[in-house]
Amino acid sequence: MVVCRWFDQSNCESPMKKLLTEFILLAILFFGTWYGLSRIDWITLFKIDRASADLEQKIGDLLWKSLKTSEGEITSDSVLLPVNILLDHLCKKNPIDREKIKIHVLKNDEINAFALPDNHLVIYSGLLLACQNESEFCGVLSHELAHIQKGHVMNKLVKETGLSVLISMSTGNGNSTIVKKAIEQLSSTAYDRKFETEADLTAVDYMINAEMDPEALANFLYRLSDESLPEQLYWISTHPESKQRSVKIMEVIKGRTFQKIPVIGSLKWTALQNAIRQNSE
Amino acid sequence: MTDERFINAPAEEEAEKASNSYLMSLIAFVGGLPLPIINLLATLIFYTGNRKSTFFVKWHCTQALFSQLMALPLNSACFWWTISIIFTDEKIGSNYIAYAITVIAFNIVEFIATMHTAIAVRKGRHVEWWFVGGLTNLIVKAP
Repeated sequence: MVVCRWFDQSNCESPMKKLLTEFILLAILFFGTWYGLSRIDWITLFKIDRASADLEQKIGDLLWKSLKTSEGEITSDSVLLPVNILLDHLCKKNPIDREKIKIHVLKNDEINAFALPDNHLVIYSGLLLACQNESEFCGVLSHELAHIQKGHVMNKLVKETGLSVLISMSTGNGNSTIVKKAIEQLSSTAYDRKFETEADLTAVDYMINAEMDPEALANFLYRLSDESLPEQLYWISTHPESKQRSVKIMEVIKGRTFQKIPVIGSLKWTALQNAIRQNSE
Repeated sequence: MTDERFINAPAEEEAEKASNSYLMSLIAFVGGLPLPIINLLATLIFYTGNRKSTFFVKWHCTQALFSQLMALPLNSACFWWTISIIFTDEKIGSNYIAYAITVIAFNIVEFIATMHTAIAVRKGRHVEWWFVGGLTNLIVKAP
């Protein structure tokens, strides 16, 4: 083989051609290695999914236990039964695994609902009293279910708390201040605007699939944002630009007709609200 | 990589300087791992300082610089991909892990090649790298 050197250019191929060949071979080597390695399922091999699921479960349990001790949980069947019927209906009509959703109703006057890691869905009694009908409640429920289904909860927690802090929490090294802060982040601050819009639009789809009126979610947002904001309106104050979101939902559903079939009906909804009042006393 | 004698035997001082250009990138490699630009900057500073040096020194400074220039886009892509996984909605996937392994493998090969070249050049031997050597030949012309 002829070796081409700067001091001896005779009898050798063009240096540019040789350079180009070497470059192409180098590129093939790099991209070929990358392509070959990308065929391996590293996520399963390194058990990354399993590890992140374990972490989410530990964090979810930790946050829920902390929340449960600070707020009273409503366990009355007269409250949980209709709430579960509505949740079952939403899950059944949508690709949501009902078994994995852990719904909790807490005694709290704040109009709030939020999702915790590991599919915990927390509803405050104040929200159930503020909703005028089952459709409004299902609108909020669908929005939170969308956050769970789209993986927004852990994403937000990792971004705002940091993965190392979460891992430390999951191994039992997290102090109560960090746990409280994490709960506060999930219950009292909004997700990114992109996530909120995605959750709103997904909630509309969930409601349509469940033969419920998606306009109810828009109405709920508009009604509460229109009123002077008392301290209890957490779900609205933590979800800013409610009016714009309401308008956006109306734009999406404009001109479309939907089936509106009651799930528990207005009588049972009123009974549920009465049960909440009794349990909150 | 080809290992051979240079056109003229370099003096002791020349061999030391030329070898230092590789050592510079080796030292910067350790410090510059999190920020790929550091490697390039270190080699660039050394290259600028030796631009007017002898042909042997200049040639090896240029080869060291090109080796870093070649690694920069690969390492930078890996760095920013990692950052986007940590701070944005980007998810970790097999593509990312495969890319990271490929880049690490290339960096290890480059690290070993740099060490070998530094030692060989210090002994006055001339080492030309695959592709980078040819590129250096095109840029650095004999006096």
